[in-house]
Parts: sequence; C-alpha cells; structure tokens
Amino acid sequence: MKHKLATAYLILVFIILYAPIIFLIAYSFSQGETMTNYHGFTWRHYQTLFSDARMLAIVANTLLIALLSSLIATLIGTLGALSITRTTKRVTRESLLTLNNVLMVSPDVIIGASFLIFFTMLKIPLGFGTVLMSHIAFEIPIVVLMVLPRLREMSRSLLDAAQDLGATTRQLLTQVIIPFISPGIFAGFFMALTYSLDDFAVTFFVTGNGFSTLSVEIYSRARQGINLEINALSGVMFLFSLLLVAGYYWIQQASQKRRHRKREVAS
Amino acid sequence: MTKRRTWVYFIPYGLWLALFVIAPVALIIYQSFFDLGQHFTLTNYNTYFRSATYLKMTLNSVWYAFLITLFTGLISYPTAYFIHQLKHRQFWLLLVILPTWINILLKAYAFIGIFSQAGLANQFLTFIGIGPQQILFTNASFIFVATYIQIPFMILPIYNALDDLNPAFVNASKDLGASTWQTFRHVIFPLTLPGVKAGVQAVFIPSLSLFMLTRLIGGNKVITLGTAIEEHFLTTMNWGMGSTIGVVLIVAMIVVMLLTGDQKTKGGTPR
Amino acid sequence: MTQPIITLRNVTKRYGTHTILKNINLTLESGKFYTLLGPSGCGKTTILRAIAGFMSVSEGDVLFAGQRINEVPANKRNVNTVFQDYALFPHLTVAENVAFGLTLKKVAKAEIAERVAKALKLVQLAGYGDRAISELSGGQQQRIAIARAIVMAPKVLLLDEPLSALDAKLRRQMQYELRDLQQRLGITFLFVTHDQEEALAMSDEIFVMNQGEVLQSGSPVDIYDEPINHFVADFIGESNILPAKMIEDFQVAFGGHQFECADAGIPDNEPVEVVIRPEDLTLTTLDQAKLTVTIDTQLFRGDYYEIAATDTLGNDWLIHSVNPAEDGETIGITFRPQDLHVMRFGEKEAEFDARLETYEELEDDGVDET
Repeated sequence: MKHKLATAYLILVFIILYAPIIFLIAYSFSQGETMTNYHGFTWRHYQTLFSDARMLAIVANTLLIALLSSLIATLIGTLGALSITRTTKRVTRESLLTLNNVLMVSPDVIIGASFLIFFTMLKIPLGFGTVLMSHIAFEIPIVVLMVLPRLREMSRSLLDAAQDLGATTRQLLTQVIIPFISPGIFAGFFMALTYSLDDFAVTFFVTGNGFSTLSVEIYSRARQGINLEINALSGVMFLFSLLLVAGYYWIQQASQKRRHRKREVAS
Repeated sequence: MTKRRTWVYFIPYGLWLALFVIAPVALIIYQSFFDLGQHFTLTNYNTYFRSATYLKMTLNSVWYAFLITLFTGLISYPTAYFIHQLKHRQFWLLLVILPTWINILLKAYAFIGIFSQAGLANQFLTFIGIGPQQILFTNASFIFVATYIQIPFMILPIYNALDDLNPAFVNASKDLGASTWQTFRHVIFPLTLPGVKAGVQAVFIPSLSLFMLTRLIGGNKVITLGTAIEEHFLTTMNWGMGSTIGVVLIVAMIVVMLLTGDQKTKGGTPR
Repeated sequence: MTQPIITLRNVTKRYGTHTILKNINLTLESGKFYTLLGPSGCGKTTILRAIAGFMSVSEGDVLFAGQRINEVPANKRNVNTVFQDYALFPHLTVAENVAFGLTLKKVAKAEIAERVAKALKLVQLAGYGDRAISELSGGQQQRIAIARAIVMAPKVLLLDEPLSALDAKLRRQMQYELRDLQQRLGITFLFVTHDQEEALAMSDEIFVMNQGEVLQSGSPVDIYDEPINHFVADFIGESNILPAKMIEDFQVAFGGHQFECADAGIPDNEPVEVVIRPEDLTLTTLDQAKLTVTIDTQLFRGDYYEIAATDTLGNDWLIHSVNPAEDGETIGITFRPQDLHVMRFGEKEAEFDARLETYEELEDDGVDET
C-alpha cells in the first residue's frame, strides 16, 4: 500500500517535470502557429529554424562561447584548486575557499550587474569579449569545486611515494597529480559547459547590442509571443542534451571497460 | 623546496579572484553611493529605506522566495526519499537532472503556452467544469513556474544527504524499537537536514532574483529584487539605485548563508 | 666494522614549540634489519621521514654513507620507502606502478621490463603485472608496494608500519617473508612499528622510542631480558613490575621478602623496580614457594594458561603456566635469581651499559642456581 503511494507520487512528480518539455517539443511538429490545438504533423518549423541564418549564427556563437570559456575556466580552475591545496595555513585556505564561492552563491543579477559596472569602468566594449570573460569568470569556481575533492582524496603519501621514486616537481604534476584528478577536471569542464549553455541573466547584462546568445535570443522572442520556431529549437536542444548525457556515460563506460579488459588479460 | 617556483601557477587564479570576485563586489558597493548626477551621496540608501514602494517590494520578494522555497522543499524531500529507495536510483536521479539542462527560458516559454487563454491548463479547467481562467501573468503562475524550475536543485542535495546516511543508523534505530515514522522523525530527518539546508541555499537566493520569470510569467505584477535591479541597470539606467538594491540583495544572501551554514553538530560528527 | 650506511647525529625536530625528536643519535650498518619501536606519536615515523627526505630536521645531521644529505631532496636520495597505506598509484597498473621510478629515470624499456618482472617474482606476484591496483587484496598491494621500492635497488629500505593493515595470520606470514627478503637482498631495512612482537621477531637491532627519544637500543634478546626502565619493560612483552629496594649487590627486597638477584653496581638501599616475565614464574607447592599468591582468574591461551593472581601484600601477578590452577586456590610461586631484573629510576642507556660492564664478569660465579 505504502509502496504504491510512493510510486504514484514519484510518477506524478516526473509527469510534472517532463510535461512542459514534452508539450514544448510536441508542438514543434504542429502545423498551427500557436501552442493550442494540435493541427497535425509537419517539419515546417524545423525548416524555418535551419534556414534562419541569424538563429544559426547565434547557435554557433553560443557553442563557441561555451566551449572556449569552459576550456579556459577548466585550466584556470584546476591551477586554482592546486594552489588552494598547496596552502599550508588553514586561514589562507579558508579565505581562498570563501572567495572562490562568492560567485557560486551570488544571484545571477548581481554577477551581471557588477560585471557590467566593471567592464564599463574599464571602457571595455560590450560584446563577444565581455560575454566570454564573464562566462569564464562564473565557471571557474565550479571547476575548483569539482577538482578539490579529488585532490583531497589523494593521500599525502602518494606524493611522497612519487618523490621517493625519483619524481621531480614537474613529473609529480604530470605523471601523478593530473592523471589522478583527471575525473575531477573532466567533471569540472562538463559542469562549466552546462553552466555556460544554461546562463541567461549574466549574459543578458554584459552582451550589449551586437552580440547575442541563444538564451538572450529566446528571451526577446518569447516576450513577443508564441513562435513555433522556438519549439523547434527546444527539440533540437533537447536532443543535444541527450547526446551530451549519452556521451558522458559512454566515456565513463569506456574507462570502466578498459579496466575490465586489463583484468581479462591478467587472468 | 619547490614552493618558490610553483607560485607562478597561482597567478591566473589569483588574477581572477582580484578582477572578477573582489573588484565587482567592491564596485557595486562603491556605485551604490552615487546618484544619477554622479555625486557621492547617501541618497540611494535614504530613498530605499524611506520609500514604502521599495520596502514593500523587498518584503514581497522575500515572501515569494520563501513560498517558492517552501513548496520546493515539500515536493522535493519525499521525491528524494522515494527515489533513494528505488532499485535503479542512479537512472532516476539522472532523469531529475536532465530537465535542468533544458534552458530555463525554454521552460518558461513552455509555460506561456500551457497557461495561455486557450492553453492546456485552461482546457483542463474547462474539461472539469470550472471554465477558463486568467492563469498567465498572475502571482500563482509565477510561484508555480519558479517552483517547477527549482525542484531538481532541491532534490539533488537532499538525495546526496540521504545517500551519505549510514544505513547502520536506521537499523540501530529500528533495533531500539523505533517505528518507521519515528526512525524518520528522530534519525533520518535530523541527519539529512544539512542536505535540506544546502537545498534552501540553492533555491532561496536565486528565487529573489528571477527577473526573467517575473517578466515572462508574472507579467510584471510581481517585482522581485532581481527585477528591480535589472530595471534600474538596463531600462532606467539608474546604476546607483540598482547597486543599492544589489547591496541589499547581497546582505540578504549573507543572512541566508549564515542561517543555513554549517552549525556545530551536537555530540560529534554524524559519521 | 663496515662504514655505517645511515647516521643521525644530534637530530632534533620541532614544530613551533613542540619538539617531536629530541637529540636523536643512531647508526645503521649495511645489510641489517633495524626496527624503530614505540607507541604512536613517539616520533618513529618522523625519523623515517627525515631519512627519506620528506621533511627537514631542525637541528643535527643526517648522513648517508658518511655524506651529509640534509639538503638532498627525497627524489635524489638512494633510499626508498614502503608506505603504511601503500600509496600505490590507482591510475596505473601493477607493472606501471613498479616501473614508475625506473621510467622517471629513463631506464631502457627492456631493462625496465626485466627488473619489474624480477621484483614481482621476488614478492611472489609474477604474472600480476597487468592488473589494476583495485583488483588486488590488501596483502598483494603490500607486496607490490615493496616491489615498487626494491626495484629501485636502494641501499636502505624504509618501511613505515607496512603490516598494520593486514590481518593477524597474513601479518605473521609477511614477517617471515620480509626477513627472508632482507637477507636475500642484503640491504639495510629500517622498519617502523608499534607492534613489539613484530619487532622482536624480525630485527637484528631494535630502537625503543618514547616521546621523541630513543630509550634503549639493542638486540631483541637484550631488550627483552634487560629492559632499561619501566616503560621499556612494560611496552615489550608482558611483565610483572614491582617496587623494590636494593639491599646490596645481588640482593633485592620486594613483596615483603629479600631475594637473590643478578644485578649489582647500585647504591645500597636505593629504591628500584624489579621486572619478572610471566613465563619465568613457576607454580609450586606452598613449602617451596618464594611468594604466596591467590589465583584470581585464568585464561587458556592454547599453549599455556595465563593466570592472574594476587600476593599477600596485594600486588597483582601475571603467570604463564603450562599447567592450570584453580580459581581461588592459594599457591606458591618461584623464580630463579637471573629471572629477576632490577631497574633504576631515571637511568640512561649509557649509564646502564657502563654499570653492566662493572659486574658482568662476576655474574657467572656470584650467583648459584636454585
């Protein structure tokens, strides 16, 4: 009885979670012009989407910003995490961590507004550059937070052992630390990518007039009302998300399989 | 021995801390002391704390954020709890995470369709005999959509707390004669409270600043702190006043962090 | 005598105001098995880290084959360490782990393969090279950690409580293997442990430590039979330690009686302590008794009975006996004069050794057997 209630509850929650998404995608195939009354199947909205040069350019921009900012943020964040673990004083480490988390807990509007003041004061013109810098900035702390636990898991004696066996500082980094924390670095990159693709508010503040990302574009189109081209875009983005998930799992599976294979060879 | 050379690695991260963490916060505080004519003044704070409009807006914003957090928590805790008891919980958890990858604006956009005059929600209301209502651009619709968007961010930390809970505690409690409900009330819930607190942190603050939802779903009827900031920065160009509200939001954030931060656990760590 | 391979000269280590090592002097010769024995926090691991180079000392010199190596970093020292938690690299296979140091040294591939195979064979894990670390049992990981260190052909192998994570049976087996390995390799082992049994079983020489000081060093037999003070006597093996008074040379009083003993060179009437090992006590009839005790409890230990008893003055006694006694029984105990060991309060190792010199020749004819 209790079990059934729990199942019913979960089913309800998942219906609520997915209904809007399914609704959105379903109407991308509707022949009508609004999200009321289904008018029969069509690919028309997808054709409109893929012939919309402006939209395609914006998609390319969004992906470019996401990839570039994630790469740079992963690099800086990893170096940051390494520096934080190297600190010997507890006070220093705690204050670094607190500063690191400021952007994690700040509301998007605050980040956006303060970056806008910052760029304006430095007379940096708003556009691709400012959006890229902002994305890097708010992605760094998440990378740090993903890498730090791996670094903490690494026991002191692991480093001692490498040194004991003759490793120099550089070899320590490239042969022991980086391979050990690579799952954390990978997860950090992945999270950074998600943050970048998902961001609206910060970008909205620092984007200026000439440059736009998907989120900003959807916002301005949605304010003008229903346009089933956006539904088609949702369909494409949902598919893209699924592919990302699948890719993430495939990489995880593959690394596990490699371990399995090693065992088979050994026995 | 190697310390001298490796501090070079700190430079990029240190620069980031200085330029994108410390400087912006300092700038927003600095800016809050300037009026439209670029004079250094306390006028903004004066206006803010004397104006019934601003204070009411702030209270409203906090009240809505509270409601959103409350509803999110009430829905999320049982969800996390039940998912944790499932066989393929990792898979179900993934299904919780997946919607967060759909851009928040697309989700908001979906609700514009669902809540519209002839939309799905009104078709349902007509079907059960209530008849169509104005749903979009109401406070209720704003709270509903905000809650919908925040649910995954509440489920995740609670789920993690449940996962960290040593099952031996539950067994011990049952061994000592506690019923399922008593075990939940006296053991499971207190020990997973850190997860709830983390969830509150993740939901409450963003709920104060969801300006795009107030515009798209709330129809500008609900003005949150976030909406006010966006308005002052991008529409009326009164950056000083916007920054003042920003400082208020930062203070609110710090208060929430302190309230939900790590408190000393009674009688040692729960591990 | 050959040149010592490792020498610590007046080594002191401080963290702030806290002194971890107090003026340590010790010498390790080539090809011997040494053990640093002491309770946790006594500084034994600190000595190991000072020799390995993970930590610099506050004062004093660390010498390797006569050369001062205080400033030489760990990766340039010809010593290797087996870590307590093994510290095997989880992202590398067994063979890659063992080859790690050689790869860094850019040794030729063929030679690496050969040496790795040899090292794995030495630790009886030939053919495990392709496995992942996570697939190995604790005992196997332990052996890989040893193989990874010895493949570097160090002059000195440092072992930091390497057996502490293993179960009792495996630990005993590894004791044999380590001893055997040390003898086959002919290099110096410096083994750190808090387990006195382990130390007694394997070592050529033991350094007993407490609170940052070496209290006593010597062969296992010396340390067991002639502990320098209460701490050493209590820490190593089981013992009965009683307050006593030195009457004169070879005469000591405790438990209300005066007994013949094997110790001398202590001022008459000085308060001292006496140690008697439980296995040196024999149960006997009341008329042959040196002391009379009442049996409290006894535990069967397989090859002997461990008996707890109380004497007429209320002192507790621990007796190991092949034959059982009866609870509550009043029974006699006896011991030989050479089984008594007298310890002076606050005597240092050097003073103890000097005192021993003065009467050692007398010992044989000064005491008669009972």
